[in-house]
Amino acid sequence: MAGVTFEAVTKRYGAVEAVRELSLEIADGEFMVFVGPSGSGKTTALRMLAGLEAVSDGRILIGELEVNRVSPRDRDIAMVFQDYALYPQMTVRDNLSFGLRRRKASKGEIETRVGRAAAALELDELLDRKPRELSGGQQQRVALGRALVRDPQVFLMDEPLSNLDAKLRVQTRGEIKRLQKEIGTTTVYVTHDQVEAMTMGDRIAVMNHGRLEQVGTPAELYDHPANRFVAGFIGSPAMSFAPVEVQGGELRGDGFALPADGRTGPLTLGVRPEHVRAWNGEPGLIGPVSGTVAYVEALGRETFLGVDTPGGTRFVVCVDGRAKEQPGDQVRFGLVPEGVRLFEGEHGSAV
Amino acid sequence: MTARREQYFTYLLLGVFSLIALAPIVGILVTALQDQSSLASFGEPAGVHFSNFADAWREGNFASYLKSSVIVVISVVTLSTVLSIMAGYAFGMMRFRGEQALFYLLLLGLMIPLEATIVPLYYDLRDLGLTDTYWALIWPQVGVSVAFGTFWMRAFFRSVPRSLVEAARLDGSSSWHTLWRVVLPVGRPAVLTMMVLIFMWTWNEFLLALVMVSDEDLRTAPLGLAFFQGRNRTDFALLAAGAVIVATPVVLVYVFLQRHFIRGMLSGAVKG
Repeated sequence: MAGVTFEAVTKRYGAVEAVRELSLEIADGEFMVFVGPSGSGKTTALRMLAGLEAVSDGRILIGELEVNRVSPRDRDIAMVFQDYALYPQMTVRDNLSFGLRRRKASKGEIETRVGRAAAALELDELLDRKPRELSGGQQQRVALGRALVRDPQVFLMDEPLSNLDAKLRVQTRGEIKRLQKEIGTTTVYVTHDQVEAMTMGDRIAVMNHGRLEQVGTPAELYDHPANRFVAGFIGSPAMSFAPVEVQGGELRGDGFALPADGRTGPLTLGVRPEHVRAWNGEPGLIGPVSGTVAYVEALGRETFLGVDTPGGTRFVVCVDGRAKEQPGDQVRFGLVPEGVRLFEGEHGSAV
Repeated sequence: MTARREQYFTYLLLGVFSLIALAPIVGILVTALQDQSSLASFGEPAGVHFSNFADAWREGNFASYLKSSVIVVISVVTLSTVLSIMAGYAFGMMRFRGEQALFYLLLLGLMIPLEATIVPLYYDLRDLGLTDTYWALIWPQVGVSVAFGTFWMRAFFRSVPRSLVEAARLDGSSSWHTLWRVVLPVGRPAVLTMMVLIFMWTWNEFLLALVMVSDEDLRTAPLGLAFFQGRNRTDFALLAAGAVIVATPVVLVYVFLQRHFIRGMLSGAVKG
């Protein structure tokens, strides 16, 4: 097993920079998630690590070894693809053992490793079937198994759950996390789903437009986003944003004000739904802010209300249990001061 | 009601076209089975005469012609298939300098008809001492077939998910191993369809055989049939029997492989 290091890695396609000076250290045994919207460069970064894309600039190291010019098969990595990429004409057993056979492992070793992986992923009964005879979830497990049997230095996973239905996705999420902890192999996992990132990663690297926006533990990213992009991307429902101006020692927004504490310039206030509460005179809340309910999302245990202020800002308000409000109703709410984050200008860094 | 009427109309139209397509074939078959003398004198057909085939086979020297055809066809289909698969894989899966220019150059082989190059080709092959040998029939047809085969196989390889090849690479598979063991087994319909097409075109090739060989032992079936027809201008039953003999192998190959052939054609049509 080994850690992975990206040193100012850049990938260019002609004039387009898909990944820009990515520098990142992934510790041995760590579960690192690359997350970001489409075109953020997360998959390109993963493919460069796999050796499927050439590095334009910078260095990638696996352990102490620079792998820029090492062929994919000599990098000692295993990858799970989004579409699983199972060999359709081979049985599950042959799919699992393919990599070992190519590496001239002994028959006994192949049998032992395939047996172990099959047992870990409950594939024992399916070993003689072809991929087309399996359900999506089973195919996904075979793809995982194929990576597992190789016992590589690093696992790479490129959105491996995106083809599963919601329920199976949640179940497999836990399964992958458990397996990774058991085996302790360094894992780089790419996803566009921030819930997956938050629930699976030891650390998360948030990417956007080819740049690394922030890297940290899920709690760090959630509580202390480095900039407005990360604040908006991590968390569901997303953080609400409102422009604020400094006026007379106060930060004034659309219907609310808070102490400026020496801050200057136009800022953006961000607040997560759990820090926006219905106004009940609770001391210490910032507000009251009035607005019109635009939508109601009742999830059972809690309800999210989308509320538009007269100035056009939308806040998401979290209400315990079921809410009686309907779209079009006037409501008043307040902001919890500890939950308020401020960002420079419109898109800037956290203040 | 309209839908049903439409359906009837469709069947009617298809029926008419089938008749138009089948009539000459049935005509040849019926003629081949008739009495030679009754045909010549517009007499009533008298029974079924399978002996016409035996007569045609013997008189037309078809054993020799078919042997030549089989030698040429097997050589052309085998060589073209192997070369087309490898070239198609390179053009479909690999990135290399001059890839596009080379591919278009190869496509010229599809665009320029053999008739346009047959004369210089004859002189070239004569200088190489290859005229009047099987090679004069095999190499030019391999050239033409590889142009088509590469085009065909490239389209197939482009339709294969890249991740399959990448997974094999990460699993330690070389390009050679990936091609033959991972990708090609998926493409059996595409390969079989290509083989059937090359088989048919090679089997039916006439002009090349006419120009390149004069030795009777090297004549292929279509060329032999033409000579046979020249010798038996009036004996329609015998002529028809000869035609049936020459056409039968193509029909048999198609019938045996039609399931794969149709699947290959459709996958090509859908995936482009």
